[in-house]
Amino acid sequence: MDGFELICPAGTPAALRAAVDAGADAVYLGFRDETNARNFPGLNFTREDVAEAVAYAHARKVEVFVAINTYPQAGGLGPWRRAVDDAARLKVDAVILADLGLLDYAAGRHPDLRLHLSVQASAANADAIQLYREAFGVRRVVLPRVLTVPEIARLNAQVDVETEVFVFGGLCPMAEGRCSLSSYATGLSPNKQGVCSPASHVRYEPRGAALASTLGDFTINVFGADEPAGYPTLCKGRFVARDTPAYLFEEPTSLNAMDLLPDLKAAGVRALKIEGRQRGKAYIGAVVRAYREALDAFAAGRPVPRSADLQAMVEGGAQTTGAYKRAWR
Amino acid sequence: MRDSDATAHATADERARRIETQLSRAGLGLVPRMGRRVSDRLFDRLLHLLTIRHPRAFTAFRAMPDACLLIEPVDTPMAFLLRVGPNLSLRALRRGAAAPGDVGGVTADAVVRGPYAQLLDLLEGRIDGDALFFRRELTIVGDTALILALRNTLDGEEMDLLADAMSFAGPLAHALPVLRRNAGSILDRLDAARRLLPSPLRRGLARVEARLSGLAPAPEA
Repeated sequence: MDGFELICPAGTPAALRAAVDAGADAVYLGFRDETNARNFPGLNFTREDVAEAVAYAHARKVEVFVAINTYPQAGGLGPWRRAVDDAARLKVDAVILADLGLLDYAAGRHPDLRLHLSVQASAANADAIQLYREAFGVRRVVLPRVLTVPEIARLNAQVDVETEVFVFGGLCPMAEGRCSLSSYATGLSPNKQGVCSPASHVRYEPRGAALASTLGDFTINVFGADEPAGYPTLCKGRFVARDTPAYLFEEPTSLNAMDLLPDLKAAGVRALKIEGRQRGKAYIGAVVRAYREALDAFAAGRPVPRSADLQAMVEGGAQTTGAYKRAWR
Repeated sequence: MRDSDATAHATADERARRIETQLSRAGLGLVPRMGRRVSDRLFDRLLHLLTIRHPRAFTAFRAMPDACLLIEPVDTPMAFLLRVGPNLSLRALRRGAAAPGDVGGVTADAVVRGPYAQLLDLLEGRIDGDALFFRRELTIVGDTALILALRNTLDGEEMDLLADAMSFAGPLAHALPVLRRNAGSILDRLDAARRLLPSPLRRGLARVEARLSGLAPAPEA
């Protein structure tokens, strides 16, 4: 098998250039609307931006994937179908989809368009993945961030679809595509509107030297004076039960699976994905460069270099291997 | 680490950047002495130049609903009020001269606070805003969506404030890239020459450089 493919995020044209220049094999991005799961203010690509991005990336032998990975609303399929049609017209290398109906539309309307299954589909077993393969010709599945490495290895042995796993960035501990926490707190969700903890409902409030983060009517966390801060998501909230504040699901922390490259290789993983379309181009450049160096060293049998830059970039100032090595599971 | 050691251990490019940042910060100190009318014209001109250099971003700012963002570098006497929407404007004002959220008769919808160097790096996309926020080096208050929209729009540009501001300055604009390209080697040569100087003079020069790069407090005037 060839080396890992490095799949990198871009939320703006400048971030795409940063990812390409830093050594991405492919860059994934979204259109500027609710058809993708990072529908944040000021982020994402117009159709013209995508045309320029494809030209820039292809000239440097880098692929472009378009994430159209939210779930269309009943009676309002137009934006999602137009996104698929435009992605095909703009000659992107793959679309990353989650919705069954949209997969069917893309497979029927654009038979030459490569289909990847988004992490938003939460396909975590061989039967589900084979169904997507047989029904729609899905060529790659992005695995949910809830599987251990042995589970990924077992799954890869049972399917003839490439697998892609997240190795760095924001860590969603939930069954993605099915999480309703943001929707519960704000009425807006990553699955339909493309926004987890929408900025319109987020407030930060200094409380003396402490910092409180709120989402809608909920206080998510109060960070002490010297405590690193995190995103205001309910899954990483610190709540008080029996007078004791504690993290219920997950702490503010960031995934980094660089130590697991040999394990992921042995498990048959094809592509490694960096999270962070909402992050700035400085983050994207630094993380992609660090992973490019690590993968090149790994492929050559050299020790994998450790990048000190990554620690300064992560949520909560902490890194984890997430579910990949979660012993309690 | 002593200040002079910190200066010595930084690369020549890092030192050049620090000095450039510090000089621009010192330039801001002159703004209050200009008077309101001159200051407003200066920032109108800067906004005009930025709009020409980055039409995508500034067209997006004009298309946004009317809102005001207060940008407060905590280590300068000045703050900036950016008004987005059809009446796009940028104004400098004395930091802390008005109550938070109410500046110059205008209510700010959101406030961003942080050290001047980090805010400049953020504007130019040299540093990641989320990382600064996680490390508590950046404070944001108020309308988070407004801040995010501005941050993401600016991060989509290849912005270089000094080069943008000097883009219509004729020969000076052409001199800037040459100066920057050679700043590292010029500082290296100055280092070599400095090592030949007597020790008291050498320490004096180190103090001046540290003061310029913001690593030591400026002496009382």
